[in-house]
Amino acid sequence: MPDDIKAIEKLVLTRLLRLNAKVQGVVTGLICGLALFIATNWLVLKGGDIVGPHLGLLGQFFIGYRVTFAGSFAGLGYGFLFGFVIGYSVAFIYNRFLDFREQGHSKELKG
Amino acid sequence: MNQQQCDEKHVVIIGAGPAGLTAAYELAKLEVHPTVLEKGDRVGGLARTEDYKGFYFDMGGHRFFTKVWEVKKVWHEVLGKDFLRRPRLSRIYYDGKFFDYPLKPINALFGLGVWESIRIVLSYLRWQISPYRREESFEQWVTNRFGKRLFEIFFKSYTEKVWGISCSELKAEWAAQRIKDLSLKTVLLSMFLKPKETIKTLIEEFDYPRRGPGMMWNSIKETIEKNGGEVRLNSGVVGIQRNGKGIESVVVGYNGNKETIRGTHFISSMPVTEFVAKLDPPAPPAVCAAAQRLKYRDFLTVCVIVNKPDLFPDNWIYIHDPAVKVGRIQNFKNWSLEMIPDPAKSSLGLEYFCTEGDELWNMSDDELINLSRYELEHIGLVSGADVEDGCVFRIPKAYPIYDADYHDYLAIVKDFVGSLQNYQTIGRNGLHRYNNQDHAMLTGMLAVRNLMLGEKNDLWNVNADQEYHEEIREKIDLAPALETVKEALAETFPKLDRVALAVSTGAISGMVLFLATIILVLKGGAVVGPNLSLVSQYFPGFSVTILGSLLGLGYGFFAGFACGWGFAFCRNVTVFLYTALMQQRAERQLLRKLLEYI
Repeated sequence: MPDDIKAIEKLVLTRLLRLNAKVQGVVTGLICGLALFIATNWLVLKGGDIVGPHLGLLGQFFIGYRVTFAGSFAGLGYGFLFGFVIGYSVAFIYNRFLDFREQGHSKELKG
Repeated sequence: MNQQQCDEKHVVIIGAGPAGLTAAYELAKLEVHPTVLEKGDRVGGLARTEDYKGFYFDMGGHRFFTKVWEVKKVWHEVLGKDFLRRPRLSRIYYDGKFFDYPLKPINALFGLGVWESIRIVLSYLRWQISPYRREESFEQWVTNRFGKRLFEIFFKSYTEKVWGISCSELKAEWAAQRIKDLSLKTVLLSMFLKPKETIKTLIEEFDYPRRGPGMMWNSIKETIEKNGGEVRLNSGVVGIQRNGKGIESVVVGYNGNKETIRGTHFISSMPVTEFVAKLDPPAPPAVCAAAQRLKYRDFLTVCVIVNKPDLFPDNWIYIHDPAVKVGRIQNFKNWSLEMIPDPAKSSLGLEYFCTEGDELWNMSDDELINLSRYELEHIGLVSGADVEDGCVFRIPKAYPIYDADYHDYLAIVKDFVGSLQNYQTIGRNGLHRYNNQDHAMLTGMLAVRNLMLGEKNDLWNVNADQEYHEEIREKIDLAPALETVKEALAETFPKLDRVALAVSTGAISGMVLFLATIILVLKGGAVVGPNLSLVSQYFPGFSVTILGSLLGLGYGFFAGFACGWGFAFCRNVTVFLYTALMQQRAERQLLRKLLEYI
């Protein structure tokens, strides 16, 4: 048992954190999707002559998205997809970059 | 192992303390008939129970709680219903007042008064802001964690009484060793396994035999004898004969006569220093020199009978008052009512920590009883006139001393002992290790397993200092949980690589800005991307054009890089501070119980 626990300590102190790309994708996706959903409905509830003229510009990238109640669901989906791609990509690149550096480091050691 | 193999073994066990008796008990269960040699007139060793005029006195006060299930099993197998579940209360006496133990900050601050509390807080802040740069002594070590004032009140006096040397001479390494398991790993594990509840239960109650621990050892002795073993009292080992490979026989002194006892295997709980000194032919000079340098602290208990039914509610009290010499006072009636033959009376054990041959040790019994009477009155616990009788028990070699060099000397002795093929050393003094009775018993059990089952248990590694871990372990069996915890820790607490995160966020932000620009350019229109072009207020030169998209790629990369690097930096610092804080908290949690480890 003490050896196992020492191993934990070594692990925590010496290892670099790896990101779980799927988890990071889902989390970022959920945050983006929900943020867009809430932001859209917030403006819808506030109302006014022209509802959410600036947020509506997102429609240029997210086809079909509008600042309406129905649009908020499209925004939820788009936001999730967009966030997922961003989160997943950041984690993926981060992990690959670490692999790349560690490979270089181990080659240096072998050399 | 068959009966013939058992019959061929004659195991001689030196010492009838918890370790030796347990080894004999386990052997007797396996139908091996050991001979146990005890120099004293009763069994139990350092955990024995003395009696005087029908009063039972537990030498040191032994709570029965353990996380070692094998030991727990033996306890209940031997005593069963004779165990009582007792509530625990122990306090600290200082400056005429009683303070809760384990220490509770609010109780301590109220008890000490406003002015003293302010001094403590100021002292704590002063030592947090500017601690000792090097923690070489116990004084520096505690001061850095509690401040000088609290150290002086709650640690200095008692520690110096117990060990007989100044806290400025006692090595910090010793204190660190007492809580050595409480490092980062414990803190991290405790975050997952929440040990607090279990600690609380251990603090509040414990098991205790109706008439003290001696009941356990006497019962074990009877079982050994019933199963064909022999326990010989007043039989001190005066010589140990060895050959090149191991031990051949021991010479026992009994009633002025000497007798040689041969054996095939020897297990000993006698102090390892004495073992080396009694070898014939002698051990190599380097081993003898190393053994002589291992030191012990001794203590004596002045047992007094008080003509009053109720004295105070504690099981024991730590006496921090430097004006008196007594270190700890046991109130045996609060351990078990059956320790006292007459309910109208009480009995106390005043424990004086000393060194064999010093002034206290050499005082006559009458002088010591008078000293106890005076000190009880001085403290205000009992009127001297109420002390009607008393007796004194001296316990040599009660505590192995962990001084600065003991580790090196012990390593030499350990190597030599390891070279003796048919010999195993066990118990607190056999291993020169500050083991409690449960761990001492475990060494006896493991020695038997080594002998009978051919296992390779390292008795020197049976650790007395794992209580905190064990408390955590009791909550959840770590073995199956450990892998999961390990994975969780590995995925949660390691550092984020700043450059890697910077590069990845940089790449993604650059790409997002690039794609957003390109999409708008491709869509075209009278005015292309009027809103996105506002980004140029931060990124000079950026425009919603093909060229601008490339510029945006670069700008996005740099902005993302800076954000990613900053995020990783802040996250690493926060995790570091958080774990440091958790470690400090957990350290304090344990330090509140430090007196028990002292």
